[in-house]
Amino acid sequence: MPNLVLIILFVLFALFRTPLFAVISAIAILSFLSIQTDLSAVIIEMVRLANTSTLIAIPLFTFAGYILAESNTPKRLINLTQALLGWLPGGLAIVVLVSCAIFTAFTGASGITIVAIGGLVFPALIKGNYTEKFSLGLVTTSGSLGLLFPPSLPLILYGLVAQVDIDKLFIAGIIPGILLVLILSIYSVAKNYKIRTQIQKFSFSNLWRATLDAIWEIPLPFIIIGGIYSGIFTVIEASAITAVYVLIVEFFIYKDLSIKKDLFKIMKESMVLVGAILIILASALGLTSYLIDEQVPMKIFDFIQKYISSKYIFLFLLNLFLLIVGMLMDIFSAIIVVVPIITPIALKFGVDPVHLGIIFLTNLEIGYLTPPVGLNLFISSFRFEKPIIKIYSATLPFILMLFIALLLITYIPDISLFLLKLKAS
Amino acid sequence: MKFLNFIDEIIARVETVLVIILLSLMVIVGFVQVLLRNLFQTGLLWADPLLRHAVLWIAFIGASIATYEDRHINIDILTRLLSPKLKRLVSILTNAFALVVCIILFKASVDFIKMEFEYPTEVFRGVKNWMLEIIIPIGFGLMSLRFLFRILKIIFIKNIL
Repeated sequence: MPNLVLIILFVLFALFRTPLFAVISAIAILSFLSIQTDLSAVIIEMVRLANTSTLIAIPLFTFAGYILAESNTPKRLINLTQALLGWLPGGLAIVVLVSCAIFTAFTGASGITIVAIGGLVFPALIKGNYTEKFSLGLVTTSGSLGLLFPPSLPLILYGLVAQVDIDKLFIAGIIPGILLVLILSIYSVAKNYKIRTQIQKFSFSNLWRATLDAIWEIPLPFIIIGGIYSGIFTVIEASAITAVYVLIVEFFIYKDLSIKKDLFKIMKESMVLVGAILIILASALGLTSYLIDEQVPMKIFDFIQKYISSKYIFLFLLNLFLLIVGMLMDIFSAIIVVVPIITPIALKFGVDPVHLGIIFLTNLEIGYLTPPVGLNLFISSFRFEKPIIKIYSATLPFILMLFIALLLITYIPDISLFLLKLKAS
Repeated sequence: MKFLNFIDEIIARVETVLVIILLSLMVIVGFVQVLLRNLFQTGLLWADPLLRHAVLWIAFIGASIATYEDRHINIDILTRLLSPKLKRLVSILTNAFALVVCIILFKASVDFIKMEFEYPTEVFRGVKNWMLEIIIPIGFGLMSLRFLFRILKIIFIKNIL
């Protein structure tokens, strides 16, 4: 048993902006020392980074996501959804939700969406007679919407850490992802039905023009989802195809970006994020193997079981716990640190590991928005130059909507598992 | 201080070039592999181990650049509440914490590489395991250096935070 006082001290350091990988490594070092194991054991676990093929997908998808974020894709995406859905009452709000969801799926949830798409649509929302409060809440909430759609980075990372088939997660996330967008859309329409918001008339020529504009980007989701769903290629292959496809489309066909000015910068920037995530994963591998060897998850399970026997109460408490985790930590570290401990416990309670993944990510997505410390709130406050308190109250009704979706996703496993069952039969 | 910055910057440039080469290699080899498998039902045997180890290298070099640019993932809730003076002190402490951890991991990884060096195995095409794993001590070494630099900068430069 490692020294508990020291561990608490380390966690205190973590709360004061110490790099998380250092804190996790420190706890791992302490743990291995407490069982008189040589510290090279920590390093042996780190080498596992090089023994996991699926990890190859992470730099490739991240690179592709960064290219999309830097190019004019956000503009084309908004134009297209605008032409498609802008004629509905509250249409612009739905446009924001749908385009943000698609964009986040490709860029991972690192706040890029709020800056890239939110920045573009916020003035349009205000001009379209939506209230400032509603608009702020909408763009802040949309910033992490779409986490559940393939090929989002958190989905891949969950699959890696929990050792669940990533192909399955990609399929399982689709319906819950649509559910989140749908519930928020219904709320947006209901909220703005009476207000005279500007509505764009539907026109085929408009839609045709927007489609032609984005003609090279439209196939991308279909290639990825279709290719993986039909088994033509694996997730790793999909990542290589996506990277090459996006590179060619944005640099040579649209010429949004120039090789000389942008390419190397994008490569470096994206790999700094990858490095920051993977170094946490590397240090957590050591800690996780210690925890598993010492059967810590089982001990926690035995402890919980004394008080809770129902799967449903367990799931409810899990939701509460994950919301707090999501408030404090970014999604990547949360997955890396918490998943290895929770997964074995949840399995014992009879929760399907794929379903658990979707519950996990939905919680963390909401955690991004939960006051006082949800990350999206700060990004939004910074980007739109509004006081954080204003963002809190603007986002609150949206969070309540997401809670409803969370309860549905948690207690109706088939929302996540239906497509998988369909595919199996 | 100028000299420190100069060294820091040179290392960062080398790292950036390396990371760009590694990512390019991953994109090209990964894509060629897809073409070979789907069009010709064959593949390069060394592609998978190469790609996997490229990930390891990108992880450590990327993490080192993240240290240089102070962009590591962290929990930033309590520092917001501190006064500027206290913030400096806390920042020195947290960076010292990270420095100590990185030095321990540097030492551990050097021991590990020594072990691997004594019992080498070939990973692909004559490349031995320790040649690929050497990036781990290099990475922790560079990160230790960067955390040390940062502490010095916070102490000696007034308006850094």
